Amino acid sequence: MHLLTLFAAESALLPSRIQMAFTLAYHVILVPLGVALPAYTLLMEGIGIAKKDPAAIRIARRWSVVMAVQFAVGAVTGTILSFEFGILWPKLMGRFGAALGMGFAIEGLAFFLEAIFIGIYLYGWTRLRPRTHFLLGLALPPAGVLGTVSVLASNSFMNTPAGVTLGSSGQVVSVDVLGALFTRALAYEFWHFLIATYITAGFIVASIYAVAWLRGRRDHYQRLAFAIPFTVAALLTPAELVVGDLSARALVADQPAKFAAMEVTWKTRSHNPEVIGGLLNDSGQVNFGLSIPSFDSILIGLSPDTVAPGLTSVPASARPTIAEANITHLAFDAMVGLGSAGVALTIWYFVVLLYRRRLPQSRWFYGAASLAGIGSYAAVESGWVTTEVGRQPWIVYNLMRVSDAVTSAPGAFVWSMLSVLIVVYAIIAVVAITLVLKLARRWRQEDAIEAPTAPEEGAPYGPRSEILPDSGSARERQGISGTIQTMAIGTVLAFLGFGVLILLVIALSLVGLGAVMRRSVRVFRRRPSR
Amino acid sequence: MTTALADVTAFVLLLAITAYSVAGGVDYGAGIWDMLAGRGPTAERARQLIDHAMAPVWEANNVWLVLAIVVCWTGFPLLFQSVFASLYPLFAVALLALILRGAFFAFRHVQSGPQAQSRMGIVFGISSVLAPFFFAAALGAIASGRVALGEPNISVWEACFNPTSISFGLVSLAATAFIGASFLVGDARRFGQPDMVDYFRRRAVISTAVLIIIGTIALAVIGLENPHLLNAMLTGLGTPFAAAAVISTPLVGFLVWRRIFRWYRLLSVVVVGSLVFAWGFAQSPYLLPGQLTITQSAAPLGSEVLLSIVTLAVVVLVLPSLALLVYLDQRGELESPQA
Repeated sequence: MHLLTLFAAESALLPSRIQMAFTLAYHVILVPLGVALPAYTLLMEGIGIAKKDPAAIRIARRWSVVMAVQFAVGAVTGTILSFEFGILWPKLMGRFGAALGMGFAIEGLAFFLEAIFIGIYLYGWTRLRPRTHFLLGLALPPAGVLGTVSVLASNSFMNTPAGVTLGSSGQVVSVDVLGALFTRALAYEFWHFLIATYITAGFIVASIYAVAWLRGRRDHYQRLAFAIPFTVAALLTPAELVVGDLSARALVADQPAKFAAMEVTWKTRSHNPEVIGGLLNDSGQVNFGLSIPSFDSILIGLSPDTVAPGLTSVPASARPTIAEANITHLAFDAMVGLGSAGVALTIWYFVVLLYRRRLPQSRWFYGAASLAGIGSYAAVESGWVTTEVGRQPWIVYNLMRVSDAVTSAPGAFVWSMLSVLIVVYAIIAVVAITLVLKLARRWRQEDAIEAPTAPEEGAPYGPRSEILPDSGSARERQGISGTIQTMAIGTVLAFLGFGVLILLVIALSLVGLGAVMRRSVRVFRRRPSR
Repeated sequence: MTTALADVTAFVLLLAITAYSVAGGVDYGAGIWDMLAGRGPTAERARQLIDHAMAPVWEANNVWLVLAIVVCWTGFPLLFQSVFASLYPLFAVALLALILRGAFFAFRHVQSGPQAQSRMGIVFGISSVLAPFFFAAALGAIASGRVALGEPNISVWEACFNPTSISFGLVSLAATAFIGASFLVGDARRFGQPDMVDYFRRRAVISTAVLIIIGTIALAVIGLENPHLLNAMLTGLGTPFAAAAVISTPLVGFLVWRRIFRWYRLLSVVVVGSLVFAWGFAQSPYLLPGQLTITQSAAPLGSEVLLSIVTLAVVVLVLPSLALLVYLDQRGELESPQA
């Protein structure tokens, strides 16, 4: 009874944070495949069309089914997230909705387009000419990019708010649309995350075929399905290291407390060591861990004299707690460590590819490659933890605290909702994984007897299988392909305009990235003043 | 400028809610009939028809819900905060129902065998009842004037569950079953199943009667609780829509009963749409009756402009694609090609 009253009286802050973290962490698992798998599928389809390779077409068709399954789950978890902004953080949206909401409004648009074009892509396999089908599919990657840039615009606003004028009580009184959408953090968050989605999707797909190799499947199908996504992901991995490094260094100026937490730096100083692992204690000392003298300073400004910001440069009430700083630090180390492992795997792959002029043949390589998918997921999650926990105690950096944004609902309510959500999410995970495994088994059997069927049939966005036993089967099928072709061409034209928009977005981001680099360089040159 | 744009945004919000009520209504309605089908071979055939008819478009419906949410928090942040601060229990239940439903429907094909199917059917049916009821109850709670500006000033339970909100919920359930049955008549015809046409015809006629009875009771309750709102519905801006609903409802029942298979689906859309419009226009220019008008709640000009651009993009890009999807579906082009 005592426990129950304690439970009911508790504020909703802790369960709300846990629930948001849980649902976001779950949703982030689905994002890489949602954003990047269409591009890999199209690449495979393009190869199939260009080289007249039926195996490539078969792979693309099967990937498109997985794409639809995970998109369906992502649609569900995404809808939950949008409601959670109201249920858990009503005051955040009340104050900053006018600015923060804009990115989500654009994401809503991108989401519709993705849903519709995934549907058309799946239905189109048997109904459209290969070239038309491929061209229509080209709408998917830009829609994914648009979704990514708009969600990250909202997240960047939380990290580096700008473009708004605040009134006396802190409410938003005017909004500069471009200023609030393209805040400083967007330049690095966008590239860092977009590349991460392509790497993760590539490695996760390739890792499945790496397992197939270990199990003894070594035909043309397996080689193609492994090599294409693995090569793309491997090419992008070094780029991610560079962009990640730029992002971290930009934080020195943009969010010094977050940077200090990532590096567990207590006091602002030059000759700051880089601590790998290790935990900060209450008195500001780091226990355990491997310390490389002056290396953090060198990483920031290429000189041991560079000043690294410390946690104490920010008042205790405005910086992460010791526990939060440790979580941020360990998550950051995990991300960097996994990224470096990815680079090592990349080097291994390309050395074999360039010197032996064939794919690697070693069990060790495929063992490592089969872990690359899960490793990338872990890196994405760690990166997400780094940026979110490192921003604490702010929900909008320096403007609104998480504790001021939380719902006034009783803690018990949020705890109950959280428990139900955990159960529901577990069910969704089990069902989705069962579905994919079932599909995989069916495809393996089909390949063994060389009798492939239409894989997209019965998938969440796919054509329906004929199930009515005594329907009028004589129903006439009018020639529709003409209409489809016309509409397809119309849509592609519409998307040409849309593509220009995307290019504009990318150009603006590049400009932003340039600005960040310039500013970072200025920061690096600053010598210790104290 | 801001005022005019805010009015446009408010109208877009009302349209999104209407679109969700209609599209979601068809969808949830089918779920309700799935649950009420009972056992036996006829019930199985009805379930198969429902499953078959819903497959390709169910996902598209959530689009309207997400649109309503993003328009609300970007265009009217204070409204969004107030509504969720007072009515979070309603949204939490509706949300859980919605995701359970989506998850179970999307992955129905994983499970096979009648037992698993009927287990799924139960979850599917219960959530099809809960979602429309709780969403509409939220609209009723807003209409009743119990949602305070910012933080709730009465108990949350009282704000959520009161005669007006429950009336809205019940009308929504009846209207959902009604539009669901009317569209299933059409699907049965499309798939060439005469016995199923009669099966859903009976249900459409019964649900017309139920909708009229519940609607009358609800009007009486609203009149007792909230004479202003009833007045605005009967003699104010809401009047044309209330009238349209009153005329169209029996007409649908009549057409389906007399086997005149024309206009009945369109008219049932008119019924559901006018019900939502009657509420929306009756309480305009207030978003929260007596407390917050459209102009007072409007976001700064920049956000409203961006929302208009996004809305325009939805109209230009999404509506044609959605029309294509529905068109292909109605032409039977989304069937398996091997058949």
